[in-house]
Amino acid sequence: MLAAFRGELFKVARRPAVWVCVVALILLAVAFSYVLLGLVYSHPPKGSNQNLPPGTTLSIFLVTLYPINFVKETLSTWAGLGGVFALIIGVLVQGSEFGWGTVKTLYTQRSGRLAMLTGKLGALAVVVLLMVVGLFLATGAASLVVASLEGADTSFPPADVIAKGLAACFLIYAFWAVFGVVLATLFRQSAMAIGLGLAYALVFENLVFGLLSLIGGNTINQIHQWFPIANGGYLVESFGAVRVRGINTGATPFADATHAVTLLLVYVTAFIVLSAWMLRTRDVTS
Amino acid sequence: MVETRGLTKHYGNGIVAVDNLNLVVRRGEVYGFLGPNGAGKTTTLRMLLGLIRPTSGSATVVGGAPGSPASLAKVGAIVETPAFYPYLSGLDNLRLLATYCGVPVERVGAALDQVELTPRARHKFSTYSMGMKQRLGIAAALIKQPDLLILDEPTNGLDPQGMADVRNLIIELGRGDRTVLVSSHLLGEVELMCTRIGVIRKGKLVAEGTIDDLRGAATLKVRATPADKALDVLERDAGAGNVGVQDDGSFSIKVDLERTAEINEHLVKAGIAVTELRPDERSLTDVFMELTGTEGGL
Repeated sequence: MLAAFRGELFKVARRPAVWVCVVALILLAVAFSYVLLGLVYSHPPKGSNQNLPPGTTLSIFLVTLYPINFVKETLSTWAGLGGVFALIIGVLVQGSEFGWGTVKTLYTQRSGRLAMLTGKLGALAVVVLLMVVGLFLATGAASLVVASLEGADTSFPPADVIAKGLAACFLIYAFWAVFGVVLATLFRQSAMAIGLGLAYALVFENLVFGLLSLIGGNTINQIHQWFPIANGGYLVESFGAVRVRGINTGATPFADATHAVTLLLVYVTAFIVLSAWMLRTRDVTS
Repeated sequence: MVETRGLTKHYGNGIVAVDNLNLVVRRGEVYGFLGPNGAGKTTTLRMLLGLIRPTSGSATVVGGAPGSPASLAKVGAIVETPAFYPYLSGLDNLRLLATYCGVPVERVGAALDQVELTPRARHKFSTYSMGMKQRLGIAAALIKQPDLLILDEPTNGLDPQGMADVRNLIIELGRGDRTVLVSSHLLGEVELMCTRIGVIRKGKLVAEGTIDDLRGAATLKVRATPADKALDVLERDAGAGNVGVQDDGSFSIKVDLERTAEINEHLVKAGIAVTELRPDERSLTDVFMELTGTEGGL
């Protein structure tokens, strides 16, 4: 099993597509959340204060970009969107084996199929961890730059909050990565897996429950609480909203963090078991 | 080294890919697994490697169950086109496989030397020609220093020079104790490489033995006139049951070929004009076509 893990690490470390996803996420997070929003908040366009309390401008939102809020800010925007990148990495790590036909090469080496899957999931966990740590380092550094430029307080949240933030983001990304693995295993290819995965991530759950909530109200929320994107949201909301003077920026989560973590862990475990079952029982004919 | 007992694979759509296959490959031999396209060769080899689960029957591969770590540790294989990671170099692909197999990476260099791929080892796999991919596949199969090599159509897609190179390499690899199980639909190739062959048709093993066994004993072909007088002489020499008359009027005689000169002398002394006298061997092609009812690979 250790040999399989080392082999998978060897592969992902040398695979450009994986690191393109990681770097793209980090660059997007810094560029959008800190550079773009920092410019907009510090130089509010004319007329942008229409929906704000009297006498205020968009500059009141600069506080969201300061280090003390970087965990909340990073999670609220990038725990969801970054999941898409984690999904793509999960699909690539598993689906390409079918596309290249290397699945037969893998399974005719010494380790068994389950050992190979374990090695792959281990390597994927390392990539996701690096992605999360890289994201937090980049957004933390960007928040420090913004606060320094604005002459604001540069203190960071307590270490336990940062650690919990990292763990929450890791769990959410791990869910998406494993979702990618199970889809790629199911379809034995990358294209279909990425297509359906993105459709679910960006459209299906939010659209369906968004529309249903218009007619079903609380009943729909009761159902939605068992779905993964909702639970990623609950977990992020459990960190609280950034307090902006005069603005109500946060909603109370429908379910608590324990519920969210439990549900996401159940999904991760179920997807791993499902992938293992498919890999173990299916013939390799490609 | 390899033994299958009633190995069978059915697919859901009613196709019987392999049907009650009983195969024995002995240590040290180069065994040719011969059959037309779609006969079930690759499915059989995939079952021996644990890639496909048989519907019924069983197999033992180097003392272990197909696909078990104990068995795979002693087996090197190429199944159809060798598949590697395109973004890695040939060298890195082999290092990776060495890591998976738990064998020293130092073996990688030797394997690359053996298939003469060292000069291109640091180039990406995606830039390799078909012949280089095939050679890398063989190098990958060799890094485990396996007791058994399973090679599925190893010369597929190669030019004549590449085919000859791979063929010579397989003959070289098959020397000594190592066992090679090589599938092919190319008769000439099998004839040159293999010590024993099995012929599969529609999933069934229809013949197994050495090439000489399958060809049968050579006969003596005689064409002479007058034919009736020649028949008398030949039946006297070889026995009536051993002389056959062919459609073209020639005779096919089952006789020790050492007696060719003696038979010729008897015919000539009897005043018979001998226009053709030569040993007549059935080619492997004839045997293959007879057994499979095809001209596959020809």
